[in-house]
Amino acid sequence: MKLINKSAQALLALAGMAFTHSAVAADTVKVGVLHSLSGTMAISETSLRDVLLFTFDEINAKGGVMGKKIEPVVVDGASNWPLFAEKAKQLLEKDKTAAVFGCWTSVSRKSVLPVFEKNNGLLFYPVQYEGEEESKNVFYTAEAVNQQATPAVDYMLAKKKEKFYLIGSDYVYPQTTNLVLLEYLLSKGVPLENIGGGFKKDSSGKIISAGKYTPFGHTDYQQIVAEIKQFAAGGKACVINTLNGDTNVPFFKEYAAAGLTAESCPVVSFSISEDEFRALPAKQLVGQLGCWTYFESIKSDANKTFVSNFQKWLKETTVDGVKKEGRVTCSPMVLSYDGVYLWKAAVEKAGSFDVDKVRAALQSGISFDGPGGKVTTQSNMHLTKNVFIGETKADGQFKILKEYKDVFGQPWLKGTFKAK
Amino acid sequence: MPLSPAPIPLLLMRLLFAAIAFLLACCAPLAQADAPAEIIAKAVLLDDKSEEQIALIRSGEPSPELLALLTLWKEGGIFLVEGPEGTKIPVTLEDAKDADDKQAARLLLTRQPYLGPDGKPIRLLASDLNAAETDSDLRSAMKSILDLAGLASPDRSARLQAVETLGMEQDPLRLPALRARISKETDSEIQHALKEAVALTELKDADPATVTLACRALGELGSIRSQDALRLLAKDGHPAARTAQDALRKIEQHLQTVNIWGTLFRGLSLGSVLLVAALGLAVTFGLMGVINMAHGEMIAVGAYTTYVVQCIFGPGLELSPFGIHIVLPSMKATGWLYDSYFLFAIPLSFLTAARAGVVLERCVIRFLYRRPLESLLATWGVSLVLQQLFRLTFGANNVQVASPNWLSGHWLINDVSLGWNRVFVIGFAAAIVLGVFLLLARTPLGLLMRAVMQNRTMAACMGVRTERVNLLTFGLGSGLAGLAGAFLSQIGNVGPSLGQSYIVDAFMTVVVGGVGSLFGTIFSALGIGMADQALQQILGNPVLGKILVLVGIILFLQWRPAGLFVTRSRSLDN
Repeated sequence: MKLINKSAQALLALAGMAFTHSAVAADTVKVGVLHSLSGTMAISETSLRDVLLFTFDEINAKGGVMGKKIEPVVVDGASNWPLFAEKAKQLLEKDKTAAVFGCWTSVSRKSVLPVFEKNNGLLFYPVQYEGEEESKNVFYTAEAVNQQATPAVDYMLAKKKEKFYLIGSDYVYPQTTNLVLLEYLLSKGVPLENIGGGFKKDSSGKIISAGKYTPFGHTDYQQIVAEIKQFAAGGKACVINTLNGDTNVPFFKEYAAAGLTAESCPVVSFSISEDEFRALPAKQLVGQLGCWTYFESIKSDANKTFVSNFQKWLKETTVDGVKKEGRVTCSPMVLSYDGVYLWKAAVEKAGSFDVDKVRAALQSGISFDGPGGKVTTQSNMHLTKNVFIGETKADGQFKILKEYKDVFGQPWLKGTFKAK
Repeated sequence: MPLSPAPIPLLLMRLLFAAIAFLLACCAPLAQADAPAEIIAKAVLLDDKSEEQIALIRSGEPSPELLALLTLWKEGGIFLVEGPEGTKIPVTLEDAKDADDKQAARLLLTRQPYLGPDGKPIRLLASDLNAAETDSDLRSAMKSILDLAGLASPDRSARLQAVETLGMEQDPLRLPALRARISKETDSEIQHALKEAVALTELKDADPATVTLACRALGELGSIRSQDALRLLAKDGHPAARTAQDALRKIEQHLQTVNIWGTLFRGLSLGSVLLVAALGLAVTFGLMGVINMAHGEMIAVGAYTTYVVQCIFGPGLELSPFGIHIVLPSMKATGWLYDSYFLFAIPLSFLTAARAGVVLERCVIRFLYRRPLESLLATWGVSLVLQQLFRLTFGANNVQVASPNWLSGHWLINDVSLGWNRVFVIGFAAAIVLGVFLLLARTPLGLLMRAVMQNRTMAACMGVRTERVNLLTFGLGSGLAGLAGAFLSQIGNVGPSLGQSYIVDAFMTVVVGGVGSLFGTIFSALGIGMADQALQQILGNPVLGKILVLVGIILFLQWRPAGLFVTRSRSLDN
C-alpha cells in the first residue's frame, strides 16, 4: 500500500513538473539554444550562445514577447552530431520550447532536421550554408549561396578578374558551393580552363566536383600554393576560398611566403569572419577579401547601438563561461540576433506561440531593422538582406568596399544558371 | 561726329582683361599641376572614393616627393586627426620618438609642425591614430605609378617588381621606358624580366610580324606569365598562331623542369619538417624504447614558448590559468629587434621542453622503463593533461605567432620558388641532426648514452649512473621536440591540439626508419616527404597522395618489419 502511495505521489509530481515545464507558463515562454559549447566547434558556437542570451535579456528588459519573459533552455551539442538530434528531441518533447535557435555546421542541421519535422518544431539557423534545402520547420536566417558566394564572384568579375581558383575544405558546404559557383562562372562566360583547382567527373563526363579540397587539419599547402602561383602568373586571377577554421593559417602563411599578395591575386574567403580572424595571422591576411551580410565596421546607428549594448552586456553578465575580453561581433551572431527579433515579431503578429501560426506570420513577410540593415522574411523561409564585400585590415576588422542592397535569398541554385 | 567712341571699348577691353585674368587665375591650378603635397592631402581626404583618389594621384607629375608621399600613404604613414569643427587634418609622424613613443605631428600640406591651440607642437602616439586608409584598387594604382618610377630604382628587388608589373599591364605606352632600360640594366635576372615585359607588351602590337617575333622570344624565355596571353593568340586564327603554339610547347617543357625541381625542393622541405618533428622521438622512442605519446605535447610546449617570447618582445601577455593572474612584461620592440625574437625563442623552446621532459621522466617514466605498455598508457594520459593545461592557460583558441620578416619572403631561382621559411627548415634540420650526431658520437655524455641504451644493466655494473643518463637522454629528446615546436609555429597553427597533428607522422617516420637508428629516421623522413610531394604533383590531389604513402608504408613494413635500418639492441629486444 505504501509502495502504491509513493508511486502515485511520484506520478503526481512528474505530472506537475510536466505541467509547469510546458512552453508557455503563466509569465514566461521557453525557447531553446542548441549550440556546441564543448568540442571543436565550441570556439565558434559559444559566441552565438552569448549573443542569444544577450538578445533574450534585451527583449525581457523591454517587457518580453507578448508580455511573457523569454526563458532560455541552453543545451550543449558538444560538436557531436547524433547528440544534436538527442538534444533537439529533449528541447521539443521534454521542454516543449516554442522555438529553438541553434546549429552551426550543416551536418548538425541535417541531423536535427527529422526531429524538428516529426515534432513540428521551429529552428532558426544562422550560419552561411550551401542551400539545396527548404524545410517548413527551419527558418534560415543564414546566408544562402546567392547572398555570399555569387555576389563575391560578381565583385571579382567587376574588378576584371578572369581566372578563378577554387579551394576548400572537404565537406558538404564547400563542395556544393563550388559546384554552384562553377555553373555561375560558366554562365558569366568564364571558360572552363580559366577555373582552377581541378575537376572530378563521373563516368558520363558530368562534373561532380570542382576545385581543390583538403581535409580538416591539413598542414602542408606548398604544392597547392605553387599551383596557384603558376595559375595566377598571367595576372587577372583570384582565389575563392572556402577553407574552414584553422587550416587557413598554414594556407595563408604559405600564400604570403610564395610572394602572392592581395594586389597580385586576391583571395576572397567565405568562412573567415571577425570572430575567426582573432585566431589568424593578421599580417598575412591584410587586404584579402571577405563577403558577409554583416560586418562590425558598418557605420549605422543600429549597429553602433547593437555593438555597444552587447559589449556592455558582456561586462555585466554573470553567465558562466562567457569570455569578456577581446570580443567582436560577426555575421552569424547578428543573424542569430535578427532571428530572435523576427520570431518575436512573428509571434506578436500571429498573436500566438503556436508554430504553425508563427510560421504563417514569418512567411507573410516581416521586416526588422537589424545591425546589418533591414532584413525581411520570405515565403521560402529565407531572408532578404544586404550583402557586403569587405577587405581585411590589420586590426581584424573589415573595410566595406561594396554593398548589394536587399538580395533575395534563394536556396535552390544548382542547375539554374545556363552556360553561355 | 567724331565723338570719341573710346570710353566704351576701353571699358569693354578692361572688362575683358579682367575676365581673362579671372579665368586665368581660376585655371591656374588646373593648367599647372598641384604641388605633390596638395595632391596627396586632397586625395587622402576623399576617403571611400577610390576612383576620385586614383584620378587625383595620376594627375600629378611623378616627382620624387610625390612618390615618397605615395609610399608613405601606402604603408599607413599618413594619419587623419580631428581638426576644429569635425574637419580632418592629414598629418605625418616622422620625427624621433620620445619616452612615451610619441612623435611630433607635421602637417602633410606644409610639412610644418602641427600646432595646438596653445601654439605648441602637438605630439601624438601612432597607435592611437587612424591611418589614412587605402583599398586594393587604390593600392594597385599607387603601385603602377611607383613601378614606372621604380624602373630606375637603385634597389634591385624594387626594380624587378616594377618590370614584372609593367609587363603584365601590356600597355604599349610603357614600351619606350622598358626598352630604354634594357640597355642600361646590368643584372641578368632583371634583363630577363625586361625582355619578357617588352615581348609581352609587343603581343598587343598591330603588326603581325612583331607579334610573331614576340611569341618566339617568349617561348625562348620560357615565360610562364605569358601563357594566358599566348593561348589567346594560339586560338585566334591570328597569323602568329603557329608561333604561339610552338612558344606554348616550349613554355610547357620549361614548366615541367620547374615542377620537377619545385617538387624536389618541396619534398626536401616536407621531409625536413617530418625530420625535425621526429628527431626527438627517435631519441626517446628509438634509443630509449619509451613509447612516448606525450611527444606531440612537447612540440606544443616549444611552440607556446615561441609564442610567449614573441609576446614579451611585442605587446606583452596576460594569462590567468587557474584564476592566478600573470602579467608578462612587454618590451614593445619594433623593427629588427622585434624580428629577432625568433632567435631567442629557439634556445628557450629547447630549454623549456627539455625541462618539461625532465619533470615527466622523474615523475612518470622512470618507474616504467621495463613496462612499455604501461608507459604508453601513462604518457597518453600525460598528453591529455598537458593539452588541457594549454587550454586553461592560453585558451581553446589558436594563438597567433607572426613570422619575422626575414622568414616570410622567397627566392625565385629560374621560376622555382624557394620560400625562406622552407629553406630555413632545411638548414635547421641539417643543423640539429649534425648537433645530435656530434653529441652522441663525439662527447663523453654521448658515449654514456649509447652504452646505457644498449644495455642498461651492464652499463650500471660498469659504474655508469644510468638514472642520470636516462634523465638527460629523455631531456634531450624532449628538447628536440621543443625545437620542432619553435619551427612549426612558423608554418602552421599553434593551439592546444598542435601535438596531435604531428604525433602520428613522427611515429611513422621513426618506425619506417628503423627503431633505434638516427640515420634511418633521416632517410625515412626525406623519403616520405619526397614521395608525398611527388604523388601530390602527379595526382593533383593532396589526400590521395598521403593515402598512397601510407599504403606504401604498410606494405614496406610487411616486407621489412624492423624498418630501413635494423638495430640490434638488448634493450629493444626486451
